[in-house]
Amino acid sequence: MNTEEQISAFRTLWVRLKQEIGRVIVGHEDIVDGTLIAILGGGHVLLEGVPGLGKTLLVRTLSEVLDLSFNRIQFTPDLMPADILGTNLVVESPEGRRSFEFQRGPIFAHLLLADEINRATPKTQSAMLEAMQERSVTAGGEIRRLADPFFVLATQNPIDQEGTYPLPEAQLDRFFFKLVVGYPTGAELTEVINRTTEGQKPQIQKVIDGAALMEWQKLVRQVPVASHVKDYAVRLVLATHPQTSTAAAITNQYLRFGSSPRGAQCLIVGAKVRALTQGRYNVSFDDIVSVAIPALRHRLILNFEAEAEGITTDHILAQILKEIPKSADPIKA
Amino acid sequence: MQSIQTIEQLLDGLSRRRRLNRGLRSAGVGLLWGSVTALLAVIGYKLAPLPASIISWAILVGLVATVGGFLVGFWKRPSMLETARWVDELKCLQERISTAWEYRGSPQSNEWQTLVVNDAVRVLGTIEPRRLLPLRFPLEARWGISLALIATVLNFVPEYRSEAALKSEQEAKSLADAGRQLADLSKQQLEQRQPVLQPTEKALNEVMEFGEKLQQVSATRNEALRDLATLQEKLERQFQNLAEKPALRTLEKAARAPSNGAGPSDLQKRMDALRQALGKAAGQEEAVDQLKSGLEKLKQSAQALPAGDSAEAKAAREKLADSLSDLAQQAKDSGIPMASLDEAIDALRNAQTDFFVRDLNTALQELEKLQELGKNLQQLQQEMAKVAKDLAEQLQLGQAKAAQATLEKMIQQLRSGSLTTEQLQKLLEEVQNASSPAKEYGEVAEHLKRAAEKMAQSKQSGDRPELRQAAATDLAKAAEELDKLLQQSADAEQLAAAMESLSRAQMSLSTGKQFGQCRGTRPVFGKGGKPGKGVGTWADEEGWAQIPEQTEGWDNSGIQQPELDSKGLTDRGEAEHNPALTPTKVRGQMSPGGSMQSITLKGVHIKGQSQVKFTETAAAAQAAAQNALNQDQVPKAYQQSVRDYFDDLKK
Repeated sequence: MNTEEQISAFRTLWVRLKQEIGRVIVGHEDIVDGTLIAILGGGHVLLEGVPGLGKTLLVRTLSEVLDLSFNRIQFTPDLMPADILGTNLVVESPEGRRSFEFQRGPIFAHLLLADEINRATPKTQSAMLEAMQERSVTAGGEIRRLADPFFVLATQNPIDQEGTYPLPEAQLDRFFFKLVVGYPTGAELTEVINRTTEGQKPQIQKVIDGAALMEWQKLVRQVPVASHVKDYAVRLVLATHPQTSTAAAITNQYLRFGSSPRGAQCLIVGAKVRALTQGRYNVSFDDIVSVAIPALRHRLILNFEAEAEGITTDHILAQILKEIPKSADPIKA
Repeated sequence: MQSIQTIEQLLDGLSRRRRLNRGLRSAGVGLLWGSVTALLAVIGYKLAPLPASIISWAILVGLVATVGGFLVGFWKRPSMLETARWVDELKCLQERISTAWEYRGSPQSNEWQTLVVNDAVRVLGTIEPRRLLPLRFPLEARWGISLALIATVLNFVPEYRSEAALKSEQEAKSLADAGRQLADLSKQQLEQRQPVLQPTEKALNEVMEFGEKLQQVSATRNEALRDLATLQEKLERQFQNLAEKPALRTLEKAARAPSNGAGPSDLQKRMDALRQALGKAAGQEEAVDQLKSGLEKLKQSAQALPAGDSAEAKAAREKLADSLSDLAQQAKDSGIPMASLDEAIDALRNAQTDFFVRDLNTALQELEKLQELGKNLQQLQQEMAKVAKDLAEQLQLGQAKAAQATLEKMIQQLRSGSLTTEQLQKLLEEVQNASSPAKEYGEVAEHLKRAAEKMAQSKQSGDRPELRQAAATDLAKAAEELDKLLQQSADAEQLAAAMESLSRAQMSLSTGKQFGQCRGTRPVFGKGGKPGKGVGTWADEEGWAQIPEQTEGWDNSGIQQPELDSKGLTDRGEAEHNPALTPTKVRGQMSPGGSMQSITLKGVHIKGQSQVKFTETAAAAQAAAQNALNQDQVPKAYQQSVRDYFDDLKK
């Protein structure tokens, strides 16, 4: 299959994925799109929203659409790192010999649903750092590779903060996108009621397996990006760095820390996926703009003034997108 | 690759059109700003006393801005990549073209390159450069043209100028005119004759520079007048320095004579020429006058001649013709034949009054001419009478050129060798006689004296050629000295002319009149023969080196002196004598009939009852008395009494 055919197939796949997910998930087009873009870009997703909006359902549906192994961890305050990663247990052989054997934790799956991730302690949360970035687990002095592909789809509840632990910045930075799940519209809610109260469970077909997914991921990374488009992505990220010459005015006022280089990477990769989903062979400014907020919102750290005034990172990013011009002098090396 | 070429062609076309469009737009912006500038300049010129050149400058700025704007816009050709990005943005092509242009030669996968380029070609197919970039007249240019038209129309509106501005403008004109005239006159002077003396040359150059400076109107009227006065003073000092040489006075006086120091031979030639022109009429001035008055009378009678062919008219004409014939005969008798008179008689007899009057006028003109020539001859004869006969007289009368000629003649005679003893004696006498008047000519007298001595020695020793040669050399030196003095006199003349120009300029600046309308005063050595102060008709030769008084009336009409305006008359009523001026004292009496005068002395004025205790007052008085005693302010004779008094008070 040549590249053009691959791209055509990608489009078909995209449509099918959305169709299958759409059988279960009503509305939330942008959340579904964002999740799929992150997966096709090879990143993890943090879904944030109040309970009952279908976050877990979306991840479960996704695990059903993708022909991948799926595990779910319900994060609780007493959850320990070993409960996620696995541990060495003493096992006795039929011959009566005892030995240590590594018992794999739930992280050893292609798709991991980390439900209510902010309910676990920072120690437990941090257990996932290596897994998310290196796609490996070090336990008992041994490094064990995780399945490939490996995705963490975490959910967290922004309310009911008592007994929760905000995710450390290092971990947040490892998420490709942070998607904020909002309330459904009236029509969507009606449809949700119709689908969930009449006893009919939709049948979902698997659309893609892990190997194919990895092929698509490779294809995504080949999408060309013009230099000025790259420059724009870089300027956006640089604009989030407070107290620098490139910082936007609002950045200096409300941000303590800006985005890491991972933010720029996610911007470009996410934009590439979006370009392909739009049937284009190149990345445009619009692609960058459309993925900028989910890719960067969790990488910005607000200062006290912003917290006090109720300013969100979304608001700051919207302002930066408005301020930063698309055409400008190229960034010098 | 065909697709890449397609993109390249399209982008190239677009790039060129963009460049042209940019040039036009920049030209439009330039035109707009230029028009705004021109409009402001015109408005400013119409309302404020700005120089007229501001409009020319504004127009120039407008043109430069328009052309410059076009060049600036057209200067840089946009690159293909830039054009590609611009097309992407304009047509919302999602960066297809720019990506394709960037990736057209990239080492990346050939398939991706093909895909991107083909995609770009597909979308570019829908684009027509002419539609995308139509060559339109930019909006700025339309505004610019409108403003330029408004400025042009405004230019025909008469400008408003306040009285002060008009006056200032007039002053500037006057300054420029005076400056130009000064500069031109000085230049002409220098071109005609280069002064011998360096200070004179420098002074004339300064006048020229001053004129050029005035021409530029870089100073105010008052400043110009001040500078002018300074320059005048300088020239005056220099003129006075020259005037210190007595010889120059005589030379200058002679130069002012009508004959201008011409020699007797010149005068004789001119007289001969006049006599020839007069013919037989020479010396018959009275006859000419009589003829002229007779003709004038006839002319008046001719004007009263009755018209037509009536018998009365014929008789009157006949009578007039007879009178005219008598006059013609009289002219012939006097040796002044006048053909025009005969023609006039014929015309009268033929009743051709017009021809008669014409011929009569011709005859009158001829007579006037004869009169003029006669006067000139008389004048020359008078001058001839004044012409000096020998060197002594020539020097006395300041006829330096004639004296030089005489000296030259003497030198030739002395050097010729064919000089007889009588001739030598004559020369010697002439030179000796000239020694006295030559004293005013500095070294000339000395040279003449030496020449005379040598000539005398030569005569005594029996005509020794070497002595004659030496005498000739001394005479030559005297001639040279005279020449030098003449040159200095010419320098002085130039200085005087420069001072006259300055005087005219001063009058022009003071009165606001044009330079040509002003008459300056030329300093001369002496009063020019005019009667001097006091009784009599003799010239005042004293103070001859001073600048003559202003005899011409100054026109002060252009000068405003509000402080001299009359303040009006007020009715102050009947004059009353100030009572303070009425004498109140009679000699020998003190305040007669009044109260005695009193003298107020310094001190505390005590009035009413005192609230101070006596003891305190007494203590204070005792302290004051003690101080007075200590300082010896109390006479010795009273000191003890004062002490005793206060001692008693204590008790």
